[in-house]
Amino acid sequence: MITEQNLVTDENRLERFLAFSAEVTAFTVFELQGTGQAEAYLKTIGDVVGAALLDEILTVHGKQMSTTGDEGRPARNAYLRREIFGSEKLGPIARNIVKLWYSGVWYELPTAWTENYGPAPKDVTFVVSPASYVEGLLWTAIGAHPAGAKAPGYGSWAAAPRIPRFAGDPAHLPAAADEEPARLPA
Amino acid sequence: MLFPVDSALRTDARAVSADDTYDAVVVGSGISGAIIANELSRAGKRVLILEAGTGVDRTLAGYESYLSTFYGAASKDNQSPYPDNPNASMPRSPELRKLQPAETDSSSYMVQSGPYVTDTVFTRVFGGTTMHWEAKTPRMLPEDFNPRSRFGQGVDWPLSYDDLEADYQAAEREIGVSADVEDQTYLDQKFPEGYVFPMKGLPLSYLDKMVGKGIDDTKIELYGEQYPIKVRPYPQGRNGIPNPDYDGGKGYKPVGAVNTHEVEEGGRCQGNTNCVPLCPVQAKYHSGKTLAKALLNVQNPEKGTSPGKIDVLVQAVASKVVVDSDSGRVSALEVKVYKDPKSSEHETITVKGKIFVLASNAIETPRLMLASGLRSSSGLMGRNLMDHAYLLSWALMPEVCGTMRGTSCTGGIIDLRAGSFRSRQAAFSVDIHNDGWGWATGAPFTDLTELVDGHNRFGADLRRGLIDRVSRQLLLAFMIEVMPSESNRVTVDPQYTDQLGNMRPVVSFTVPEYSMRGAAYAREFAKTVFARLGAEDHTRYDPSDYGYVTYEGQGYAIRGGNHLAGTHIMGKDKSSSVVNTDQRSWDHENLYLVGGGSMPSIGTSNVTLTLAALCYRSARAMLKQLH
Repeated sequence: MITEQNLVTDENRLERFLAFSAEVTAFTVFELQGTGQAEAYLKTIGDVVGAALLDEILTVHGKQMSTTGDEGRPARNAYLRREIFGSEKLGPIARNIVKLWYSGVWYELPTAWTENYGPAPKDVTFVVSPASYVEGLLWTAIGAHPAGAKAPGYGSWAAAPRIPRFAGDPAHLPAAADEEPARLPA
Repeated sequence: MLFPVDSALRTDARAVSADDTYDAVVVGSGISGAIIANELSRAGKRVLILEAGTGVDRTLAGYESYLSTFYGAASKDNQSPYPDNPNASMPRSPELRKLQPAETDSSSYMVQSGPYVTDTVFTRVFGGTTMHWEAKTPRMLPEDFNPRSRFGQGVDWPLSYDDLEADYQAAEREIGVSADVEDQTYLDQKFPEGYVFPMKGLPLSYLDKMVGKGIDDTKIELYGEQYPIKVRPYPQGRNGIPNPDYDGGKGYKPVGAVNTHEVEEGGRCQGNTNCVPLCPVQAKYHSGKTLAKALLNVQNPEKGTSPGKIDVLVQAVASKVVVDSDSGRVSALEVKVYKDPKSSEHETITVKGKIFVLASNAIETPRLMLASGLRSSSGLMGRNLMDHAYLLSWALMPEVCGTMRGTSCTGGIIDLRAGSFRSRQAAFSVDIHNDGWGWATGAPFTDLTELVDGHNRFGADLRRGLIDRVSRQLLLAFMIEVMPSESNRVTVDPQYTDQLGNMRPVVSFTVPEYSMRGAAYAREFAKTVFARLGAEDHTRYDPSDYGYVTYEGQGYAIRGGNHLAGTHIMGKDKSSSVVNTDQRSWDHENLYLVGGGSMPSIGTSNVTLTLAALCYRSARAMLKQLH
């Protein structure tokens, strides 16, 4: 049921987009905002597939906001799989949102999607902007830097990588993992 | 040091055409052309450099526009920073496709007439392929100079390692090589007593060290002989820590970015992991550094010298070498000068000089000669095309190794660059790629799409999945030697022309059996290394791959190395070679064909350092001729 409170509006769309994005990228809203790309991605999605589809995703997502915290994660993920990622219509868009944040690239949607829900004439693979490539999250996720940007400094490559910690990591990194790089095996 | 943009921009086509005082006309602003122009100018000679590309990167804004184009490119291939220029086109690997038997593909600039489809590239911009190069700078080994007499393979050079040693030092100074002599002294590689490289070696990457832990001091067996293997650092043409002991204790001053202040950029490699296709901070050598030095020297001569003026004409495509039929001397070059890369509108001018130097690259130089009807009396113009054959093998390390950090490649395994096995199969040098599986699979973007679209991952599972998948990647790139073969060649054909009407290069290439035997062994070698590391082998060669080659029932995807050589081979006489040991044409006494094309073989050494060394030798010969 869509409540009044759950409505996506021009005023709250960015905030709702960030909340959804944080959930599906495992980066915090703070980190996502730090990329400076949120508005550009919102605009990209709107330009390529239309804002209504995004609003639909955000609305479906909004319905599950009640289960929070780490203990609520499995239930939320199951819900996202059934209602968003597993939706013929919303799934490909949601996956593209994940890929946008991680790489700065809008990937052309699957043909099956375009046949059923298209046409979407602007739907080709493209980099949103030079800055969006540089702000791709995948580099941060692996403790590296985008090739050709944000260089870590002379000789930094000789040391073990610093892989940042994140909430919900299935590998359960030890608490100090972001301070202490993994050691060379003895 | 700032590139004197004004002095390079000042030349206009008509003034150049009317000028008959040039001592030397040089085609190409890559490393060969830059070194020769600098050497001649220092000796007071007037030089004209013709560059087919636009020359935008002489300014900081231009250089950074390349970077921005790279960031914004959906396909991050090795030419992605350099915009299409139909008047000076260049090969691009995403344009390739597999050929049917006897098929010719002319859909992209370099016509592929097969049977092997090479994804080799060269870069037609100001600075040439040094803009794009990875900047690995190993010398050739002493035994690489006489493979015919030692191994019954290829042809011997008319020069020895000792003949080139001093010029190797000059090239290492000019490029600014970072390496430590103790790491590079192997397999009979000799350096003079007390020699040090200009800068200290770059540290090995964490990934290199993890590989080293697994394989260092183990041995491999080949034809009954044992070879110890280990991970060693490569010499690199990028700025590191200057060695205070260089030049008898005088030290070395690195050259940073030449179109912004060095305090901001270029002083030292920052680990952008993007040597190919473009170093964002100009820590990597490109020939603009040599040209900047040369042009500044003209403006403010060193005390006691009177350097000759250098003119640089960009957007000037040499289209014909004009030969005087009586003397055989080159009398002029026809040059098409365009205003706009998008338009075919151009003006054809002729330029004159005492000597002419073709320094484009081992594809474009023979292309121009053949397009001018100059096949060489040996008939070898364009023949003996060589390039290293690369075979990639990739695996996942058992633990996180921090892949995607460093220079593109800091270390590798070089123990099989030499050995008696070379009478039977090609030698190779193995690169450990710090940029993971990118070259083979398009990682890390393909890992992302696979995890999201195929493995249905999002959120924390995706983030962990990327760490497991990308940070453990190990790619071994085997750089396999290719010997000269006359049937591997560049030709031209009037039916294939570019926007300016210049004939395009047509390449026919077969990976020689000698190299394929090396490739087949390389695959086994990779499996052995992966077994010692406990790494998961993910290597797979797709039969529909454009570079797919079958050898003894197995298929391999062979990649080009962009180490083009051999198309105007150097030798001892006119009947068996195109140029002499000074890279001077046997047929035309005032014409020099310089660059990789002069090399009779390439061993397992990236060609740039050696071809740069040869240019110092040639510059001396030119000066002697001009005096």
